[in-house]
Amino acid sequence: MRIGERRLDDPEAHTVTRPSVLWLLPLALLAVPLVTNDYTQYIVNLTLVYVLVGIGFNVVVGNLGQLAFANAAFYGIGAYTAAILLYHYKMPLLLAIAGAGVVGGLAGTLVALPALRGIRSFYLAILTLAFGELMRWVYINADAWTLGSMGMHVPRPVLFGYVLASEKQKFYLFLVIVTLLVAATANLLRSKVGRAFTAIRDNELAAAAMGIPTARYTILAFAWSGLVVGTAGALYAVLVRQVSPEAFGLLELILHFGIVVIGGLANIAGSVLGAVVLTLAPELLRDLPGYEELLIACLMIAILLVLPGGLITVLDRLRLTLLFRERYHRA
Amino acid sequence: MAADAHPLLTLNDVSVGFGGLRALSKVDLRVSAGEVVAVIGPNGAGKTTLFNAISGFVPIDQGRIALAGERIDGLMPHDIAAKGVRRTFQNGGLCGHLTVLENVLAGLHSQTPGNLFSIALGWPSARRAERAAVARARELLDVMKLGPQAAQPASSLSGGQQRMAEILRTIASRPPLLLLDEPAVGLSPPMRTELGKVIRDLARTDGIGVLLIEHAIELVMDVSDRIAVLNYGEKIADDAPAAIRLNRAVLEAYLGHA
Repeated sequence: MRIGERRLDDPEAHTVTRPSVLWLLPLALLAVPLVTNDYTQYIVNLTLVYVLVGIGFNVVVGNLGQLAFANAAFYGIGAYTAAILLYHYKMPLLLAIAGAGVVGGLAGTLVALPALRGIRSFYLAILTLAFGELMRWVYINADAWTLGSMGMHVPRPVLFGYVLASEKQKFYLFLVIVTLLVAATANLLRSKVGRAFTAIRDNELAAAAMGIPTARYTILAFAWSGLVVGTAGALYAVLVRQVSPEAFGLLELILHFGIVVIGGLANIAGSVLGAVVLTLAPELLRDLPGYEELLIACLMIAILLVLPGGLITVLDRLRLTLLFRERYHRA
Repeated sequence: MAADAHPLLTLNDVSVGFGGLRALSKVDLRVSAGEVVAVIGPNGAGKTTLFNAISGFVPIDQGRIALAGERIDGLMPHDIAAKGVRRTFQNGGLCGHLTVLENVLAGLHSQTPGNLFSIALGWPSARRAERAAVARARELLDVMKLGPQAAQPASSLSGGQQRMAEILRTIASRPPLLLLDEPAVGLSPPMRTELGKVIRDLARTDGIGVLLIEHAIELVMDVSDRIAVLNYGEKIADDAPAAIRLNRAVLEAYLGHA
């Protein structure tokens, strides 16, 4: 089975989400702080961070179909950039987050270069894994900026003079940023840009023969992925207020990959579902120390056995995606 | 003929080598607007290499390829496609994960305006461009009777429908030159007849220059204005179908006997 392949006998398998309905979701989420305490709100905020992580990663792995595993590196680069800009340079919060997105995008561009040279599949996988480990070495050794292996403390987030002291305050900032980036990503993927990504994944020669500059779009996919995931890293830094090298290693990468695969490749709603499940599951299982990892592993295996196309196929089966069908596919 | 004074596609002295192998040797070829030129020859004669050279997928070692007088050899494939040279692929070039409609839209890629920011922000200009492209693609799908399949993934179509959808995708952008690489493979006899009609219409009605690689000789004889014959990378004949039928060198090369 090729990456991202969905069941072809399912007539709804190839639907695309439609934003007009999905806009209701963030509006409904505005009410979440009414029912949370500081701890549960923290979990919700973390889920938002992982929604961005999954959506950014999916652009490269799902839509462009490249086995590139630099996602934890983009996440770490974003987190460290925001932390450094806030800690050393005392930058305003929004500028630091934007800066993290830009640096993440540049890292994505860098990682796209070997892909352009024709390095694909397992070779690209190993190369990007090595890049991730290299970045961990950088976090530890560039200690003038990163304060080394102890990690660095992120100052209290201040937005336009207001200290975001509580998780609920952070939530509104996160919700706005995540909604904007998810909407922008959805817009891109539903347009000629997204079609170019999929065309490159399916048949790169045919894509070029259609007039699609394949190199440019490959760079764009990686850069956008880096931007989104780098921003997620910045939000993580603001949320946890502590960044350290071990937070961005292989385990973190496996979690990112799990979100994308469990949710459903090349599907935005799938990434959201994957992020929700894989962020909530460890918290719900926290009361069972020792069994947590075991149960999560079993959960992942069970989901993939029952739903090989990811959680999104549940929506497909329930025909809920009819609600989200792309405008041009309606009769 | 006035068209011959300004040929759409001109190949002068074009050679392509792969290591020690000469895949194309000093090939001259002209295709005018509204003309169907078939390229035939035994397997390995260099037909697909010729298409790859024209569309920029293999570099040429020698010679010159021009579209409407403008040199196109050395350009990137996507630039050549954007200039109006579109092609199909022998093994099928549809993108299986895109729907039929999205495949046609992808064929309109360079004609669909919109930059990254206007698209990401969902600006009205980007939405308008998308709507216009969708309208054009739907119209074409209806003409080719593929309208009902628009929302299906391309990989779910029958072989014949895939061939038609691929041709549709190449002509969506109204290219002046079309390269069809064995479009009749896997088509039933009635669909071959339909394909012949489509090719003739593209040339006569829309003025598209068509270069056609095809083994189905009755189709070639039916639709071509001229037939160029390749053998071991060299062009050994280039003439009207009736004359090719009687050409001794062609019979020897193609049929293996005199």
